[in-house]
Amino acid sequence: MLNTAHSTLLCEVLSRAQECPDKIALAEGEVCVTYSQLLALVEQVAGCMCSLGLSAGDPIVLVANKELPFVYCYLAAHSLGIVNVVVDAASPRERLDYIIDVVKPAALFCNGSVNVDGVPVYDFNQLLTAPVASGQFKPGNSDLKSCDVADVMFTTGTTGAPKGVCLTHDNIAGSARNTNGFVGTSADDIEALALPLSHSFGLGRMRCVLMAGGTLVLVNNFANLKSFFTVLDSWHVTGFGMVPAVWQYIKRLSGRRIARFAPQLRYIEFGSAALPVEDKQMLIEMFPTTRLCMHYGLTEASRAMFTEFHACAANLVTIGRPASPLVEACVRDEAGNPVADGEDGEICVRGNMVTHSYFNPADNDGGFYGDWFRTGDWGHRDANGDYYLTGRKKELINVGGEKVSPAAIEDAIRSLGIADCACIAVPDPNGVLGEVPKAFLLRDGHHDSFEDIKNGLAGLLPAHEIPVEWEWVDSIPRTASGKIQRLKLKQ
Amino acid sequence: MESQVKEIIARVLNVPLERITDELSSGDIPEWDSVGNLAIISTIEQELELEFPLEDLFDLTSVRSLVEEVDKLTNA
Repeated sequence: MLNTAHSTLLCEVLSRAQECPDKIALAEGEVCVTYSQLLALVEQVAGCMCSLGLSAGDPIVLVANKELPFVYCYLAAHSLGIVNVVVDAASPRERLDYIIDVVKPAALFCNGSVNVDGVPVYDFNQLLTAPVASGQFKPGNSDLKSCDVADVMFTTGTTGAPKGVCLTHDNIAGSARNTNGFVGTSADDIEALALPLSHSFGLGRMRCVLMAGGTLVLVNNFANLKSFFTVLDSWHVTGFGMVPAVWQYIKRLSGRRIARFAPQLRYIEFGSAALPVEDKQMLIEMFPTTRLCMHYGLTEASRAMFTEFHACAANLVTIGRPASPLVEACVRDEAGNPVADGEDGEICVRGNMVTHSYFNPADNDGGFYGDWFRTGDWGHRDANGDYYLTGRKKELINVGGEKVSPAAIEDAIRSLGIADCACIAVPDPNGVLGEVPKAFLLRDGHHDSFEDIKNGLAGLLPAHEIPVEWEWVDSIPRTASGKIQRLKLKQ
Repeated sequence: MESQVKEIIARVLNVPLERITDELSSGDIPEWDSVGNLAIISTIEQELELEFPLEDLFDLTSVRSLVEEVDKLTNA
């Protein structure tokens, strides 16, 4: 019997398995898993984890692809109080090595194998078939608490060093409750998940659907829109989440074809980047009865605010209001003092979904005002209580929802022999990805062409991190302490 | 033209050329996501100096369909 008392998410899955055992919880391709089967699979995996000697508080790395065994493993770890550190399978090896070095996991789970020194590596599928050693399964650990850390999600740090965000069982349940309360996801919904499960948005959608008792259909990604539309059709999907870049992709590749699904779609959740007002207006027209919800949030404060396009048709520039009565927001000046409505400052949030700490406590420095999390985003609130973004203090480049660290690109460029460089975000000239990187290179007698440098980066960076625009400069602006002044390059 | 198209796909996705089989479709491998697909389309258009008709883009979901479309456009 699984221990679920500390995890609202597991409690919901358990009660669904008891109330409607034959309801489909998850589907992938031809495989369907009911809630009772899901519970049994999670128990099997939890038993195996015990057999492997894993116990409460141990961090494990889950190298995530979008596949059913990942979900079983993720939930099984929660039941035992084991801490999930979710890493995208497509991450560069350096990122995985960095995370392993920081968290020192007790084990790593993946699809297939990964060579990691000193860390036991297991295939997800091994856990589904391995016998559970008698006497090893001790699920009755009543010391587990809802305020224990459930997941550690690594962000892309502006300095190039990712930060591990500790999320408790309460945090992830709070975020799912807030989101379901606003978006309206219920047990009647069938959701298609084409977002990566390794990112906050996709993983959050998975938790929302399971918390609500709905059905989640896993889809590879949005690249093959024909396949995605087939899933919408065959499953009679009622909701899904997407990032703005995917909307641009759907528009470009399929025109208005997706509008034929409007009558069946009860909700679409957008997030991770800004969506132009014209697109919001187009969506309102194409989906007249669908709840078109857009969240504002960060890994540290998932889904902090929401707006719904139909309800806010007269004000489509706002990022919305706090997601639920359990979430608060305010705007503060450089000294940390609240500012008056209409005045710009740093947006800060607190509530049930906000992290209490980074994995490395040193990263907490400057990240909080008491229990208020500092988002690093600049904006203001109007007299009606609606919030607006006006800039970003943090310098990440948001490429189609993927947060890219300028420092990581700069390191890669310098490794090619460029004496100095700096990267900033510029609007995507094709109007699809929102932002793309631009690189400023110190001339300093260098004669390689931009094309040569681009080719040199191909093996060092993922395609979306390679700068799209390039410029030679005679100097890179830096502060007295040597920090790059990227804002000056934007002027 | 087939080898050029496959070479572009492999280069854009940063995967070995031998993985680019005729049957490979967008979404089959993590690298071929929506961003990768757009990059493939724009790189082929740019390097082979052609333009895919908007109404055909929805159906360009595999290596084979891309090769056939490029053949059609270059022989038109």
